[in-house]
Amino acid sequence: MPDFSLSAEQESLRDMARKFARTEMAPHAAECDKAARFPDEIYRKAYELGLMNLNVPTEYGGSGLGVLEQCLIVEELAHACGGMTTSVIANCLALEPIILGGTPEQKERFLTPFCAQYHFASFCLTEPAGGSDAGSLKTRARKDGDHYLLDGEKCFITNAPHASLYTVFATVDPDLRYKGITAFVVPRETEGLTTGKDEEKMGHRASSTSTVRFEGVRVPVVDRLGGEGDGFSIAMRTLDQTRTPIGALATGIAQAALDHAAAYSLKRHSFGKPISEHQAIQIKLANMAQSIHAARLLTWHAAWTIDHGSKGTLESSIAKCFASDAALHVADEAIQTFGGYGYMKEYPVEKLLRDAKLTQIYEGANEIQRTVIARELLRQYA
Amino acid sequence: MTAPILVVGEVQAGHLTSPTLECITVGQHLAAGQAPVIGFVAGSSARSVADEFSHVGVARVVVVTDATLDTALVAATAHAVAAAAERVGADTVLVGGTTFGRELVGRLAIRWNASAASSVTEVRKEGDALHVRRPIFGGRATETRRLDGPRFVLALRPHTFPVPPDAAVPSNIEEVPLPSLPPGLLVARRTALEPTSEGVGPSLGDASIVVSGGRGVRTAENFHLVEELAAALGAAVGASRAVTDAGWRPSSFQVGQTGRSVSPQLYIAVGISGAIQHLVGMLSSRVIVAINSDASAPIFRVADYGIVGDLFQILPALTAEIRRVRGL
Amino acid sequence: MEIVVCLKPVPEAETRLRAATDGRALDSEGVKFVLAGYDESALEQALLLKESIAGSRVHAVSYGPGPRTEEVLRAAIALGADLATWVEAPPGTALDPIAAARALAAAITSVPHDLILCGKQAGDDEAGLVPPALGELLSLPEFSSVVDLRWDAGTSRFRFLRSTEEGGERWESSGPCVMGLQQAWNDPRTAKLPNILRSRKATIARRPLEPVPAGPRSESERFELPAPRTGARMIEYKTPAEAAQQLVRLLREEAKVFP
Repeated sequence: MPDFSLSAEQESLRDMARKFARTEMAPHAAECDKAARFPDEIYRKAYELGLMNLNVPTEYGGSGLGVLEQCLIVEELAHACGGMTTSVIANCLALEPIILGGTPEQKERFLTPFCAQYHFASFCLTEPAGGSDAGSLKTRARKDGDHYLLDGEKCFITNAPHASLYTVFATVDPDLRYKGITAFVVPRETEGLTTGKDEEKMGHRASSTSTVRFEGVRVPVVDRLGGEGDGFSIAMRTLDQTRTPIGALATGIAQAALDHAAAYSLKRHSFGKPISEHQAIQIKLANMAQSIHAARLLTWHAAWTIDHGSKGTLESSIAKCFASDAALHVADEAIQTFGGYGYMKEYPVEKLLRDAKLTQIYEGANEIQRTVIARELLRQYA
Repeated sequence: MTAPILVVGEVQAGHLTSPTLECITVGQHLAAGQAPVIGFVAGSSARSVADEFSHVGVARVVVVTDATLDTALVAATAHAVAAAAERVGADTVLVGGTTFGRELVGRLAIRWNASAASSVTEVRKEGDALHVRRPIFGGRATETRRLDGPRFVLALRPHTFPVPPDAAVPSNIEEVPLPSLPPGLLVARRTALEPTSEGVGPSLGDASIVVSGGRGVRTAENFHLVEELAAALGAAVGASRAVTDAGWRPSSFQVGQTGRSVSPQLYIAVGISGAIQHLVGMLSSRVIVAINSDASAPIFRVADYGIVGDLFQILPALTAEIRRVRGL
Repeated sequence: MEIVVCLKPVPEAETRLRAATDGRALDSEGVKFVLAGYDESALEQALLLKESIAGSRVHAVSYGPGPRTEEVLRAAIALGADLATWVEAPPGTALDPIAAARALAAAITSVPHDLILCGKQAGDDEAGLVPPALGELLSLPEFSSVVDLRWDAGTSRFRFLRSTEEGGERWESSGPCVMGLQQAWNDPRTAKLPNILRSRKATIARRPLEPVPAGPRSESERFELPAPRTGARMIEYKTPAEAAQQLVRLLREEAKVFP
């Protein structure tokens, strides 16, 4: 029989994340959302507590957590603010290519000094002309002696304006499609690397997103991760690791929406009684709770699968896709429960809908997740 | 139970405090005319204060006039109380549940080998046991405890019991010497007293009315609105954590989980939403009034009376009305 | 300096309280017990002193049943305590503050102690009896409601402020002594993630409860929740002056709290 109980260690990690989320993040969530403010002081505290480089092995100064532990933490953080959570966990995405594809020497050289201080890193895969179709990326890497010259543009890059390290995917030959994609580590100060203006976003407004331009950026060959053409595999294996915590992030947003809606339903009266006593509202709350419960269990299961050594592509795609769809639906129902108040910015639930939306799009849009799910599924019938 | 009951007097500004007088009421109730209530008071002013016991029907008073006790530790007073209790053959010691009283009870429980309870709001005698009721979890629950005899020492929650009616009796004051104290208790000394904050009026823990301001007050400069209402009521001023965290008022003003617990007759919460951390510090107040602009603020769920509105309009009107009815 | 800090696991603040089926105590089924309130401040103060006085150690001591007591000690280690001692109470033991003080005193006697810090009262029973009872049991001075505790290395004395009904009292004392903390210099810190992981593997000294000398006892016999507040009676008004008049009238005539 599967065991759904958490260990004392897992519970204490979750408690700590919950405390941080409630005392440090939640009180500033509305203000940061309104002003699109990147709360550096909160991220610095998150770093100091060890919440920022969750997946980096402890020998390189990270927290060395499994995916399930990451999910427990991410759900708690996202309950307070989805946008802040995106910025806090973006290092996990950006550093995973080094963890998966780097040599011990590269890990020591890049991860150890990076983790020793408060730093951001950015994962640079998506381009203006294509996100999901990663095989067709346009950023070029041309060999020049013991260097590569990178040229091109990446977009929607989380934390890019604040990052000190970028993991960049570029092609050595566009005709090779997937087989030409190569991964590099590029420090911020490298000449020719520039970031664009902070994008004005619908949600996740406490997070920061911009373009990253590469104009003749010289990258030493020793800063290439794996061989030429290994980049696509590194990127896909990275996303296999980081997709599940996005499911947890969505679950956290959904749980916050249900918490707000249920509490509101008990104190809001209509037709002479609290609206929680109207069956229409009860059915809403019950459906929301079911979606959240399923999302959480799918997430835990995907995390467990990966922590036990499987790639977990199918499980993590199901978890991410289901949880993000659930988050959007639950946030929508929370607004409906609040009625007109829910539509007002003075109340917390409309933000949850805007934040939930991104979880359907980033780290592999849900259309791609469904393509992957169908492919893995049909393979079993072929 | 026919042994005498000893009431330990606390002195403030040269008089027995109101919590002390409340103990006399409870003592007389417990003794039920079967045993005497005996007073105890210590310190250099003990003799002049001792007479006040006789104004409310307590004839016999044991005094320790040693000035050491003016500035010594509660531990030293505990020695004197234990000796006095032995001397008069008391089986019960009552004290007001102030900071002093609760410390005294903890020390006496060991020194005098008695069953102990603090913050007692009801006490009932049944056979050889006492049953006491007391608020717990910040007033969110109450417990009834059975205390096994033969000796009991209780700190009674202030502002809970009535003060006894005037009943002058001839006064019989016995002066006893301070028992010798272990040297370990003399290593500490009090170096200064600081009045509560800059404010006049009663201190938080003591006041029968408390007016507290919260985040809704918006700025330190606006806080005078809360203070003016408190002044009109003769109330102490409190604050939520949002206020003390923002530095609008010092942390000594804070009511709540990490600040003070108060249980006045009347608590007025102004611009306080009512997070559980605040509620546990004031929930056992007898009457709670909430003034807040947000009708859905949780404070209204625990309040007895609520006004939804702009505190910047309501407070001046309320202060004026109270001044009017009090003829100020 | 050897700093002992006494900690009691209490239900977290958000707990929905309800009585156990026998009606005598809190139903602790499903309740999460944590380090909280004044005890958290006491530990924070202990850690701040340790950080300011070279060669100091913080020793967390807790009395109670498992696993909650062990968890609170692990939390203390994650926050920076160097040592931990668990005085084990058999499951189901009714916790009496005086009995707790006796159990703690027996444990403290056998370890080095220059300062013993407690929360001024526990967040559940709010008795505030443990610090003074500990002082009496150990024949040490004890101070309750301490808010500003400093170590004066020049005179080797503690200087501190006690917050009482009458205001603040400035005190100084040499050690060892017992203090009931009301507030530390800083807000309690949050444990760092790597320290939480490390605390799971730390050793906790387990100490069986010694037979308690026969003495007066107290025991909870009833646990009650107040009748649910029905919510505030909301004052309807057209002008602020009208609201004020109505409130004052209700306070005088109905609630009778106002002269």
